[in-house]
Amino acid sequence: MALAVLGFVAGLVPLVLALATEGGHQRELIAITGPVIGWAFIGTGVYAWARQPDNRLGALMTAVGFSSCLAGLRVSTEPWVFIVGLLFITSQWALLFHMLLAFPRGVVETGFERLLVAAMYFSSVVVHPVMTLFHDTTRQGFPENPLLIGDGTDLSDLTRVRFWFTLGLLVALTVILAQRWSAQRGAPRKALAPVFVSGGLVMALLGVWYAALLAGVGQDVIDGLEDARYVVLATVPFAFLAGLIRTRVAEASAVSQVVARLGDPALRRRGVCHAMDEALRGTSLEIAYRDEDGTYANCAGDRVDIPPADPRRDAVSLEAGGEPVAVLTHDATREDERELVRTVAAAATLALENERLADELRAKVEELSASRARIVESGDATRRRLERDLHDGAQQRLVSLALSLRILSNRLDGNTEAMRELESARTELDHAMDELRELARGIHPSLLSDRGLDAAVESLAHRAPLPVELELSPGDRLPERVESASYFVVSEALTNVAKYARATHASVNVTRDNGRVLVEVSDDGVGGADPGNGTGLRGLLDRVSSLGGSLEVDSRPGSGTTVRAEIPCE
Amino acid sequence: MGTRVLIVDDHAGFRAHARRLLECEGYNVVGEAADCAEALEAAGQLSPDFALVDVYLPGEDGFALTNRLQALGAAPAVVLTSSRAESDLAECVEESSACGFVPKSALSRETIEEVLP
Repeated sequence: MALAVLGFVAGLVPLVLALATEGGHQRELIAITGPVIGWAFIGTGVYAWARQPDNRLGALMTAVGFSSCLAGLRVSTEPWVFIVGLLFITSQWALLFHMLLAFPRGVVETGFERLLVAAMYFSSVVVHPVMTLFHDTTRQGFPENPLLIGDGTDLSDLTRVRFWFTLGLLVALTVILAQRWSAQRGAPRKALAPVFVSGGLVMALLGVWYAALLAGVGQDVIDGLEDARYVVLATVPFAFLAGLIRTRVAEASAVSQVVARLGDPALRRRGVCHAMDEALRGTSLEIAYRDEDGTYANCAGDRVDIPPADPRRDAVSLEAGGEPVAVLTHDATREDERELVRTVAAAATLALENERLADELRAKVEELSASRARIVESGDATRRRLERDLHDGAQQRLVSLALSLRILSNRLDGNTEAMRELESARTELDHAMDELRELARGIHPSLLSDRGLDAAVESLAHRAPLPVELELSPGDRLPERVESASYFVVSEALTNVAKYARATHASVNVTRDNGRVLVEVSDDGVGGADPGNGTGLRGLLDRVSSLGGSLEVDSRPGSGTTVRAEIPCE
Repeated sequence: MGTRVLIVDDHAGFRAHARRLLECEGYNVVGEAADCAEALEAAGQLSPDFALVDVYLPGEDGFALTNRLQALGAAPAVVLTSSRAESDLAECVEESSACGFVPKSALSRETIEEVLP
């Protein structure tokens, strides 16, 4: 509060001084922008400082405000007051430079950036005041310099060096800000926009101003550039406020991004880590995953101490299925993030739990698919065994019986009545054998095992009671279960054609393509078949799906029926 | 003596019945074999005029045996037989070097002579 009152008074100083001083240096500019810049920076700075005591940005902004007010003293014609203003004229730029590199977390992250900030402070707070001692201000029509200790005309080269040096620092700053800007997407980028645009523009105008001084362009241009810089500087605190508000929006958006990304099945836990890290950038929140040995690691795979070694950081455990799977660490001193931590933790827990359930469901589905495939396979094995038993047992006995009847008929030479009886018995036996053979074929077509799909399908077409056009693409033998499924699709479909379709013509098409078999049986009959009705097609669907394939029936009334199966054969 | 026959089938019951029937119809059954190896050995030793060969034999099937018998010095004619449907086998029989096919249940002198050259 005291700081705010002091700031208000400080903002009045350049205004009052400018109004009171006829012919002061940059009088109009200071009268207008001086209090605006001072109050705006100090006001927003004090507010931000109170809200996030740990974030140095608030303090930096307040410092820029006071520094700007002090620099406004140069409007005075009193030599001592004037010279204080002149000494402070560069410090606000160094503070703004620092602020931009520290935005939004208040920390200058890399060693190189810290070096740049230090260099900027050195140039503005050390070199500039020292050189002021040699600056004969009266030459430019300014009030006299009471600190003057020597003639500085020989030092003009040194001044140029300082300008070049500062210009270099400003170029480096621009490059870094541009890189940061392009590394961000979406909401975090929007949060950076106002601060980077206004602050960056001030720094760019400062750079151009130094360049103009070095190039020796006209005083009008130089003054214009300076005026423009101060006007834009006045917008920086408001941009900062907008940035803060947008950071809140970005944080809210981070939560929804966390949820969305955790829910994305394409991103497994480790993949999600990077996505979450990105979503949480700009906040103090970090996620660490629990490894099998109970330790925690961040996205980069570096070990993270839980509980955190830094006493200011807190950890929230994230559980799925009652088991800890991750922790969310955060800066416990940041009051403003409490809500965010709670929300992200709840969202992440929900998403992790969801992921666990999805995993469980996936495992169950896989287990069910495998057991269904096993049931179909064991059914097929039983069918093969039954067919083999019929063939080796009953069929062979009937054959032997037929041969015995034949021997008997040879011995009954002449007895015509007995011969007739025998002939009738033979005919019955032939029927019995035919029926048994059909029964066996229905249980399992031995032809399929012996000679493969094409031969078995040809045999089906051959025995169908209507003309069947065949289109087969010969190839190597397929896995037994694929051959069986394909065969039964054709067999069942042709049976249905014969029973219900009232068709005059059918066609069977079996093609192999990219590791799958496509079976298509169509007819020109009455259509209207309902795959949900009757066990035949449903049985086929089960059989085909157990192999990861699909079956569809297209049967509009009046336009024939097409049964189409696609079976992977890897 | 009648035409010399070798019966090749893995079912002993069928071999016994077929032997009785063929002998009853005037053939001279000179040997029996249960699989391909036995059949090749018997054919080499006994020089039958024809072999009645079951299509489904353990190991190599009747078609393979037919080809191997053809490679022998004095190759016997081959009549294939099976209890399975003739229609399922017709194409393979035609492609093979056997004289023809007789269903097991229709075995008789007439049906055999129909297919023998």
